[in-house]
Amino acid sequence: MTLNPYKKATHALRWFLLHRLPTCKQMVEVMSQSMERPLTLRERVLLKLHLWVCAWCVWYLEQLRLLRASLRARAAEVAGEVSPGVSLSAEARDRIKSSLNRPSS
Amino acid sequence: MIEEQRTVARLSQDPAVWVDEHGDYLFGYAMFRLRDASAAEDAVQETLLAALQSYHSFEGRGSQRTWLVGILKHKLTDHFRRMGRETPLSQLEGESFEHGEFFRPAGEWKGHWEADRAPLEWGATPEELLRQSDFFRVLDDCLSPLPARVSGAFILREVDGLASEEICQMFGVTTNNLWVMLHRARLHLRHCVELNWFKPRAV
Repeated sequence: MTLNPYKKATHALRWFLLHRLPTCKQMVEVMSQSMERPLTLRERVLLKLHLWVCAWCVWYLEQLRLLRASLRARAAEVAGEVSPGVSLSAEARDRIKSSLNRPSS
Repeated sequence: MIEEQRTVARLSQDPAVWVDEHGDYLFGYAMFRLRDASAAEDAVQETLLAALQSYHSFEGRGSQRTWLVGILKHKLTDHFRRMGRETPLSQLEGESFEHGEFFRPAGEWKGHWEADRAPLEWGATPEELLRQSDFFRVLDDCLSPLPARVSGAFILREVDGLASEEICQMFGVTTNNLWVMLHRARLHLRHCVELNWFKPRAV
């Protein structure tokens, strides 16, 4: 293996960071909170460094954002449409109708 | 066209017809958020009863369906409030949520992803997913195993876009409780969607 010195140094640095930084388990919690509040400066720096050395967590954060974006877009698109396969049972329909006919009870 | 408008105007006077016109829609809306058929039926019934009592205030602004959904949202809020009062959070959701299964318990890489549980690259965009309604069915199925309040919080936040504070008030929980619930939902959902939607396609 003949890595050039720059690559070697980067490799060593990544290795060092992976061992010294907060773990993935700690970072997924921070990533979830980044969807809820602005992160502190310290959190932002640690997250940035972690994402530099951990592709899994890069995908994790991308996917949290993708899920939110696609769920909200979908909700806007199907607003007002009946969802297929979900309907009141005949029994519930009758019960609700009769309750509407005697609203005082 | 004119005929149709007249029909709608006439039907909207008769509350029993609301059940046929909007019942399934309201039920689907409530069912997605509550994941409990009898609770969703109750919410629809309460919504239509409340609509009947305040029909004079409707005045035909906007569509009748939008008006009814507005009432239903209040009923769902009431439902979650009741749930919050009746069942302490710790019993249902476990205050200290252990997500141990996803991360290595020991060794040099303690706390890092388990290789077979770590995220894969999805390579998808919201626009692509939007064209695939089956994807949203998978998502819906993946929400079901979660405790009702966890999936409820997730949907109110990620689908309806309510503010954290609003959801905390509704559920009677602290911000920290809510963050743990959302984190739990995200971790589970991401993994479940990957297994059931993305992975079979990558192989």
